[in-house]
Amino acid sequence: MRPNTPWQKLVDALTSMKLTLACLGLMMALTVICTLAQVPLGTHAAVDRTIRTFLVWWQPEGSSLNIPVFPGGGLIGALLFINLALGQFMKLEWSRRKIGLWIAHLGLAFLFLGEFSTAFFQVESHMPIEIGQTRDYTEDYRQMELAVVEKTDAQHDSATAIPESMLKGSSEISHPSLPFKLRVKHYYENAALSMRSPSDPPSEATAGVGADLVVHPEPPVSGEDQQNTIAALVSASALDGRDLGSLWLSNALGAPQGFIIEGRDFALSLRPRRYYLPFSLTLKEFHHDKYAGTDIPKNFSSLVHLSEPGRGEDRDALISMNNPLRYGGKAFYQASFGKNDTLSVFQVIQNPGWLIPYLSCILVSLGMLIHFGMKLAGALGGSK
Amino acid sequence: MSKCYTDFVNIIYCLIIIISFSACRQEKIEVRQVSKEAPSPVSMPGAGSMPSGMIDAPPHAHGVSWTPPAGWKEAPGNGIRLATFTPPQDPGKSEATVVALPGDAGGELANVNRWRGQIGLTPIDAGLMAEARKSVRSNLGAVTVYDFTGEGTKKSRMVVGMIKVEETSWYFKLMGDEKAVGQNKAAFIKLLEGLKNDAS
Repeated sequence: MRPNTPWQKLVDALTSMKLTLACLGLMMALTVICTLAQVPLGTHAAVDRTIRTFLVWWQPEGSSLNIPVFPGGGLIGALLFINLALGQFMKLEWSRRKIGLWIAHLGLAFLFLGEFSTAFFQVESHMPIEIGQTRDYTEDYRQMELAVVEKTDAQHDSATAIPESMLKGSSEISHPSLPFKLRVKHYYENAALSMRSPSDPPSEATAGVGADLVVHPEPPVSGEDQQNTIAALVSASALDGRDLGSLWLSNALGAPQGFIIEGRDFALSLRPRRYYLPFSLTLKEFHHDKYAGTDIPKNFSSLVHLSEPGRGEDRDALISMNNPLRYGGKAFYQASFGKNDTLSVFQVIQNPGWLIPYLSCILVSLGMLIHFGMKLAGALGGSK
Repeated sequence: MSKCYTDFVNIIYCLIIIISFSACRQEKIEVRQVSKEAPSPVSMPGAGSMPSGMIDAPPHAHGVSWTPPAGWKEAPGNGIRLATFTPPQDPGKSEATVVALPGDAGGELANVNRWRGQIGLTPIDAGLMAEARKSVRSNLGAVTVYDFTGEGTKKSRMVVGMIKVEETSWYFKLMGDEKAVGQNKAAFIKLLEGLKNDAS
């Protein structure tokens, strides 16, 4: 019988086998596109731009226009999930005999949802911390932010973080907390910085260390062990229009640069994006254990002190390999170390759906146990 | 209207909803109060597995050493800034820094005008620069000193000492609130007079 109501027509379209085949075909094509994209972009960027997105965007050379050219993994996955889930509900048998299959399929659906949660909601960052140091923020090395820090107050700083996405356009940046406006004249995803020689043309920067630098844009690097030198030429002007100068900012220039306006001291820097925490960690000890008589690493562990006065948390915690600290919706994993074992680096993962894969495994196992158990019981009962 | 066309239209409606949802997330400027921090460890690319490489602090330029005045807190450098001092007089209102750059680093006039720009002063020519130039004696030779005060209701002030040692230009800068810089200037000049060769 042909569907009559709009809802029936929609359901019919979403449960059609043609949609299933189309989604599977698009997924295969997307896998090839992502694999090829890893060469120029690197693994992480290729996955971000093709799989963990609803649309694959293309920006023509020299243009600021972004054109969607292919459905992304998020869109194809969502459509396929809806297609299979609706098909399951609308077309398969509802009976006690199939309950094991229903539970197992529900587990598979949760696996799908878990990956969706990871792709679109997981936030990954790092916390490098030295022994004796206290940190209340983590850093994302794959995203930058322009930090405008007012240092006027003796007790605290006021940090205004401008996300990287706002730096790539050329429009004016202003905020009620700042007595000046900013405009990004150039933004390079990778650049080569060198000192100016007398024969070089004058720098475009009129203030800060950038006035002595030559900055050339370079193709972005994609290797896992490589890092782009991001550079931005930022001009500042007071609210009355007075020019405060132009600064070259870069993640390669460690020291912040800035100016004083009306007695307020501001420092600008381009730094990895920070996620501030409501609690702090202090690294008390770091251990790099080796097997006796060898240089083979046995274990890496960090003893930290966790403090969140608002919740009364004030305790030590041990972070070691495969034993993260889970607190505040985040998991702190022991990731790396340095500086003669005085620096520990934690990988910090925030994923609201981190339990979903575990739930999925439980449901699939339970469903299969029930289904095969019922089959076995039926077979044994029939053979008597 | 054919069934295929109707199916296609229905799917497009769903796509528009999905795309609209995905476009809703816009990043915004965030402002927060944070505690004063010391220079952070050297940033490193995200390393996912143990064991990983060692991370070393950036190398320091050599050739000049200094003795901080009594009561001045010295913090290690970060990038091209080799050291940061916090004077005790009016803490937080002034700060001294040490920067070393190769060669002439753009020349004296360009640097003077860049420093003047940092406190809102207009550029000057070579003649006015020569009038503003002072000098103090150190163990390394003459240190050129400039003292500029900004304008406006809340004035800023900057005292800069510069000296070239071999092929490196060294800049010692005390900057901050006019009153605080004035109180700390004498100690800062003593720091400049105490510059000596770095034996290491």
